[in-house]
Amino acid sequence: MSLCPVCEATLTTPLVCLNCKTLLSTEGREVSPFEALGVERRWEIDPKQLKRALLDLSRHVHPDYFATAEPEQRELAEQASATLNEAFETLRDDPRRADWLVRALGGPSDSEERQMPQAFLMQVLEWNEVLEEARGATAGTDEWQAMIDLGAELSSEREERLEAIAAQLTPLPAAGAEALIEVRRELNAVRYIDRTRAELKSLRLEASLGGA
Amino acid sequence: MGYIELNVLNNVDQPMALGIDLGTTNSLAATWKDGRPVVLKPEGGHGGSVPSVVHFAEGGGATIGRKALNKATIDPRGTIFSIKRFMGRGLADVQEELKSFPFPVSEGEHGLLQVDVYGNPMTPQEISALILTRVQQIACQTLPDAELNRAVITVPAYFDDTQRQATRDAARLAGIDVMRIINEPTAASLAYGLDQAKEGKIAVYDLGGGTFDISILSIEDGVFTVLSTNGDTHLGGDDFDRALANLVLAEVADQIGEEALAEPALQRAALIAAEKCKVELSIHPEAGLHLVLPENGVHVRRNVTRDEFEALAAPLIQRSLDACRNALADAELEPSEVSEVVLVGGSTRMPAVRTAVEMFFGRLPHTELNPDEVVALGAATQAHILAGGSRDLLLMDVTPLSLGLETVGGAVSKIITRNSTIPCSATEGFTTYADNQTGIDFNILQGERELAKDCRSLGQFSLKGIPPMPAGMARVAVRFHVDADGLLTVTAREESTGAKSSIEVKPKHGLTDQQVEQMLEDSLTNAKEDFEASRAAGLKTEIGIMVHATEKSLPTVEDHLDPEQLLDVREAVDAAKAARESDSMDPKLLQKVRDELERATMPLAAMLMDGVAKKALSGRELSDF
Repeated sequence: MSLCPVCEATLTTPLVCLNCKTLLSTEGREVSPFEALGVERRWEIDPKQLKRALLDLSRHVHPDYFATAEPEQRELAEQASATLNEAFETLRDDPRRADWLVRALGGPSDSEERQMPQAFLMQVLEWNEVLEEARGATAGTDEWQAMIDLGAELSSEREERLEAIAAQLTPLPAAGAEALIEVRRELNAVRYIDRTRAELKSLRLEASLGGA
Repeated sequence: MGYIELNVLNNVDQPMALGIDLGTTNSLAATWKDGRPVVLKPEGGHGGSVPSVVHFAEGGGATIGRKALNKATIDPRGTIFSIKRFMGRGLADVQEELKSFPFPVSEGEHGLLQVDVYGNPMTPQEISALILTRVQQIACQTLPDAELNRAVITVPAYFDDTQRQATRDAARLAGIDVMRIINEPTAASLAYGLDQAKEGKIAVYDLGGGTFDISILSIEDGVFTVLSTNGDTHLGGDDFDRALANLVLAEVADQIGEEALAEPALQRAALIAAEKCKVELSIHPEAGLHLVLPENGVHVRRNVTRDEFEALAAPLIQRSLDACRNALADAELEPSEVSEVVLVGGSTRMPAVRTAVEMFFGRLPHTELNPDEVVALGAATQAHILAGGSRDLLLMDVTPLSLGLETVGGAVSKIITRNSTIPCSATEGFTTYADNQTGIDFNILQGERELAKDCRSLGQFSLKGIPPMPAGMARVAVRFHVDADGLLTVTAREESTGAKSSIEVKPKHGLTDQQVEQMLEDSLTNAKEDFEASRAAGLKTEIGIMVHATEKSLPTVEDHLDPEQLLDVREAVDAAKAARESDSMDPKLLQKVRDELERATMPLAAMLMDGVAKKALSGRELSDF
């Protein structure tokens, strides 16, 4: 834990000292989302605690409270607040948090590792067929029903992928570990599922509009 | 010797700031006073709200607000209303609206819309500035000792960057320092969340004169977080009026023919009759819808039942509920998870709207605060926070629309997604698509659509100086930053060389800085002209009185004056008469003439005073002279 350069109190976050209320500059250094929100770096997070951290810290750094301050202070508030908001968005979303952890631990990026888990690939081929038939389907037909079933299947599949990710990341593996490649592959699968679900949603919207 | 402690801090007045609701139909100001926000109402006035209407007389002269509203039927061409619908829009954006507006609108420089007011083009920004000036004037009359030139101004949540910027420009033209532009529903929630330390999720349903907004917020420990917003920029009370007006106009068509319907005065009269009927239907189960214009041969008197009206209103209300559904989906909530529903906007007085909202959310909506005042009250609360007056509350707002860049093939890469809490930053990597490409052009987009052509372009900029290398090798990081004011800055940087380029986004249909400055200068020049004209008129009146008095008294004393003095007086009187009857409105010239007359008649005046004194002594009355 680092200390406040002004009052030497222990810092919860590198953005602001909660003891003397001084806004701190983080210019030129990367602040991790865990550091920014003052939460422990690990996979498991408590959404309530995360939200509380965001609100508590925002109470100290939000630009609204510095609207009449010197430009330098206003800029610090602006940066600190943006950092907090970005950190919160990164951590509260499971795939984004996993993506951040994989990168931070020196694992492959999505362009370096494009594979998906083997077992998953077989299912993808099946799903693509259902999707193909669903394009242009109208409400009430078998293809329509297959599309709705696919939606449900994808949701439960997503849960399973995220559980696999949680298992690999609890506790956090060592930097550069093999497990990180596995997590990246699972994340690629999640991304495929999310894209497909988005397509299903728009297909369904189209069909319901066309049917109306 | 003891010291007397002075608690200086307690004696310092809190700096005051206004919250202004610049509405489509009405505008209103509030401020923080004695620990709560209050609407600024002039004594004996109409609740402080100013109809957002400006009337321009042919040949100049503007009236604003209630007086202008009265001109709507007499002079529809010169009476500008609902100008908010044109703020920051291009001509192509408003084709639909234009059909029902009796005043001519065209496109000026930079794609800027302008209303042609008797040959004099006025931008929506300038017209809004007049409304803001009037609102501020009323506020200043109510609180004469306060300096009230800083304000938080509200806009519909669904306003895009260009429309927000147009609102800022309007305020600037009115000489108001804009502390922040905030969303109307958010402001409303601040006003509601104040009294009770509420926790939970609130839905704010805001159906105003011209726009519909729905916002979902969460309140925790005095921190208001906007979870999502949605809306329809073309749905408001005006549309309900239009539906009723069409009902009566169909009958008018039978009387005087389809072609005659285009008459602006007729259209306007139909809308006014429709609004009156709509308001009555909120109270009574049946109301009259009368349109009688003898000069046009129009005589329609009919009754409308609430059922009839609600059938017309149903599709409009349904559109608002669709937006509610989308907002809830974005916030990942079910209707039943919303703990409070707040109604804002005069149109929520319609019983059909209240019932529909109650059914949709499954709970009775709040109506404790006046729906016409709640937005201004919330804006005043935020103004108080920004002025440094309070840290009890905090508003964490969101970007209403996604921001991104156009990519190869006209697609959109979203960098900041809608409903992100601001201030926020996001960085995305891009690369070159041709070998030895040394520059990249960026087109910054705002909107939810997938194709660049369907989104609004906020501006273009290019990054140059990328060293020649094979396609796909350059590493360009593009950073978007949206500040607490909601303004976007984009920075692009090539990682290997550090080549950098950035842009502060200036919207397309907005005013350029030069234009704003020119307008400010014009308004100052105009102010000077106006001032000089009124001064000149005053001098002419004064000269007239002096000439009259001199001519009246001259016979009684002329025998006692030197011939030279007499000539002097006669010359001065002639010059004064000539100046008074001339077209000259130059106050300097008139002042000189007046002073000269005063000097020449000095001996005469002295003699008169003398004579008056003598005659008064001899029992005659002063008034006899």
